[in-house]
Amino acid sequence: MAIDLTVNGVRHSVDVSPDTPLLWVVRDTLKLTGTKFSCGIAQCGACTLHVDGRPVRSCSLPVSAAAGKTVTTIEGLSTDGSHPVQAAWVELDVPQCGYCQSGMIMSVVALLKRHPKPTDADIDAEITNACRCSTYHRIRQAIHLAAAKVTAAGGKI
Amino acid sequence: MSDLDISRRDFLSTAATTTGALVVGFWVPSRAEAQIIHPEGAAWAVEPGMDEVNAWVVVAPDETVTVRIAQTELGQGVWTSNAMIVADELQCDWSKVRPQYASANRDGREMAPAWTLKAPGNGAQDPNGGGEPEFGDRNRRGVTGIPDTLYRRMRTNAAASVKDGRYYLQLAGAEARERLLLAAAKMWGVPVEQVTSKNSVITHGLTGRTTTYGKVASLAAHTPHPNPENIRIKPPSEWTLMGTEQKNLDVPIKVTGKAVYGIDINLPGMKWAAIKSCPVYGGTVKIYDFERIRKEPGVISAVAFPIPNPALIRGRIFGGGVAVIADSWYQAKTAVEKMPIAWDMPPQNAVRNTANIRAELLASLDKPGKVGVNTGDCDAAFSRAAKIVEATYTVPYLPRARMEPGNATVLVGDNRVDVWLGDQSPQETRYSASQITGIPESNVYIHLCHLGGGYGRNGNGPQAEQAIYIANQNRGTPIHLLWTREEDFINTTYRSIGVARLKAALDADGWPVAMEVRTATDAEAPGTTAAFDVAARYFAPNYRFSYHSARIHVPVGTRRGVGAPAQHFYRESFMDELAHAAGKDPYLYRRELVARTNLPYKADIIRALDMAAEMSGWGKPLPKGWARAIGFEERGAETGSHATLSAMVHTVSISKDGKVRLERVDVAHDEGFGLVNPLSVKKQIEGQIVWFYNDVMHQECNVEDGHVVENNFDRFPLSRIHEDPPEINIRFFKSGHWLDGMGHDRATSIQSAVCDAVFQITGKRYRDLPLRNHDLTWA
Repeated sequence: MAIDLTVNGVRHSVDVSPDTPLLWVVRDTLKLTGTKFSCGIAQCGACTLHVDGRPVRSCSLPVSAAAGKTVTTIEGLSTDGSHPVQAAWVELDVPQCGYCQSGMIMSVVALLKRHPKPTDADIDAEITNACRCSTYHRIRQAIHLAAAKVTAAGGKI
Repeated sequence: MSDLDISRRDFLSTAATTTGALVVGFWVPSRAEAQIIHPEGAAWAVEPGMDEVNAWVVVAPDETVTVRIAQTELGQGVWTSNAMIVADELQCDWSKVRPQYASANRDGREMAPAWTLKAPGNGAQDPNGGGEPEFGDRNRRGVTGIPDTLYRRMRTNAAASVKDGRYYLQLAGAEARERLLLAAAKMWGVPVEQVTSKNSVITHGLTGRTTTYGKVASLAAHTPHPNPENIRIKPPSEWTLMGTEQKNLDVPIKVTGKAVYGIDINLPGMKWAAIKSCPVYGGTVKIYDFERIRKEPGVISAVAFPIPNPALIRGRIFGGGVAVIADSWYQAKTAVEKMPIAWDMPPQNAVRNTANIRAELLASLDKPGKVGVNTGDCDAAFSRAAKIVEATYTVPYLPRARMEPGNATVLVGDNRVDVWLGDQSPQETRYSASQITGIPESNVYIHLCHLGGGYGRNGNGPQAEQAIYIANQNRGTPIHLLWTREEDFINTTYRSIGVARLKAALDADGWPVAMEVRTATDAEAPGTTAAFDVAARYFAPNYRFSYHSARIHVPVGTRRGVGAPAQHFYRESFMDELAHAAGKDPYLYRRELVARTNLPYKADIIRALDMAAEMSGWGKPLPKGWARAIGFEERGAETGSHATLSAMVHTVSISKDGKVRLERVDVAHDEGFGLVNPLSVKKQIEGQIVWFYNDVMHQECNVEDGHVVENNFDRFPLSRIHEDPPEINIRFFKSGHWLDGMGHDRATSIQSAVCDAVFQITGKRYRDLPLRNHDLTWA
């Protein structure tokens, strides 16, 4: 059964079983490998991407639930790292192994949409992605830096 | 499908239709090297289209400098730090440096140049020298020691990438620089003494003429060094790039999703494999019913694999299992989970559980163990003691649980093996691939990818061997094996469960006159003598250390810090208990007991304790429900060789309902003669703070009916950002030795510190981890 969805601005019709998790459609069918697999049970957030602008743990979302919707992955944020969250990540040298960072960045972009100036409490409550290298100290600083960058650029994210 | 089915036309069209995606193309195996597509974020070795200056350095006409890195980037920053070592000596433009993994295939065919084999200088305390990397045996498999093949030690372990690699990477950079200068001098017809270089620009001072590395690189490639044995390396006082804070070179590709990890490999014609392995270690497949899943979507075949030969997989016993091969991984995984499999489980393993394993280890403490140290007369001292303090501690099994589940992609051709994976020991994988397929090592190509975390050789498990085995049954088809998270927990090795009993005899003033330490772990656990061997780190005139063991079936290995984290927990916890028993300040108590030792670097340890205490405001009042605790981490404190020493004060709060918060960490850290990349070191310390907080608070794996119970991140919790301490202060101090690495046993003191804070605030002393099993409330 073909399922239509728009990924990073491109319309696709994918012929997969409707219960296939969106993650595997993105990674295997569409070959967008920036979004990662780790736990498979929506715990760690490595697979976070946006469906209609909301952060979703794509390892546990059947592709049928994304039919007709707009999906944004790390590749759709910017290809050159110019998005303010990516730029803050580079400026503060956040990643270590980097495996969780695609999902982490997508979660942070969603956070900043809801809270343009997040408090530490907002960050603690909403950033529930796991980073096994524990780069959290820099992630928190980079979130505040990204928020400042977004504000300085007129607030659009 | 045979290798020949992929025509050049298919290959090009596949590549063209997948712009922005990661598709790695190849042609027939014999010509595979030339045909592999290298996506932007790929890091594996590529044959350059130009002459190299030496095996580490290639300079392109556009001035790009490729530096070959023999260790794997798994978040520790080696990709950048090892490139910095080469570039500092090369004196090239750092902004033009592009690291690339060294070729393990070439390493198998070439020997290391003679001029890299001798460490200059006089050991670990000579700032002008190379330190003393332990050669050990020169086994070409790279299992132990440092091989004398081209890239020498390609293992990434023991926090030793800088320690062991620094001087020969400096030599490699210096040799390349000197040959580039020779080439320029030859071109100009002037004596080489008259030319200098900086930032890739070569200058002839007398005439003001300049050229660049890129312009003379091909001439340099054909200009041998007349006297490479005499190359001198820069001492830290002359470093220009090393010692400065440099951002990791792979960060830009890690924030755009372009970095290529093993899981991202996608080859034309590739099939995916998902496995079920026997949950009880040592078990094998009795029978499986492929017919039940044959018609499932995408399913192609199933292959049973045996318990990997321990001679091939680094000596560890896992279990046998079955792989299902399908068009996509999700199809393979869904099918393998539906397939009936019956196991042959060794009955003696299937009755094991946490309680009977721990009981056996505790019982082993009363049997004779191996004596590590026995100085003075402990029995006599104990009989005269004013007070005896005794405590028994336990720690659980712990996996590394890296974020990227184990995976490997393998193509076995008629006489060539290609393996794509993140790997912490490609020399070993090269050997395994050859042994399993019967294809010579010279025809094995390991295409190294970045690793989604390592934490003690997770990128060294049997994923490569399993994938090679499965692909060898499917020659001509690239097979990508990927474990589920649950399989990753079965197929990893664990930090052994451990117990320890520490006993001290105190004199009337509360100082130890005797100390006895007994530890017990799995008989195959590495690092069992850490923290206690050779000499007591805290003085006791009579000191006895013995280590004991039991044979347990759970595979154990080198999780981050190896033996040190558990043993530091025992030692530092016990020092807190002794200080409290003596009614003394735990910082000053430690300080005095270090001062009484003859440890070679005791002045550095005292300095670390003093600095951390001062930074933290030690002794200043804290709110109710808050406490500070201090601890000291060491690696190499007992010898006069490489060492890494640090002390940390951890400030902890606990709410009345038992919520623990690490509020602040003050770190005083030895930098030896100099850190290569201080930024990377800070990041490693920051990461290890939460890593060990996670250990002390949450993490454990239990065994039930012979298998590990906690096998995903629901039951095996990972600390999140709300547990990161709001304040981390790090200060470095210089010391008179080369460092022994710092990527894996820093911040171990958090374990004892949190337990002691719990004691100070709640009055409860817990000696078994993790603390989540305990009541931390107080009134």
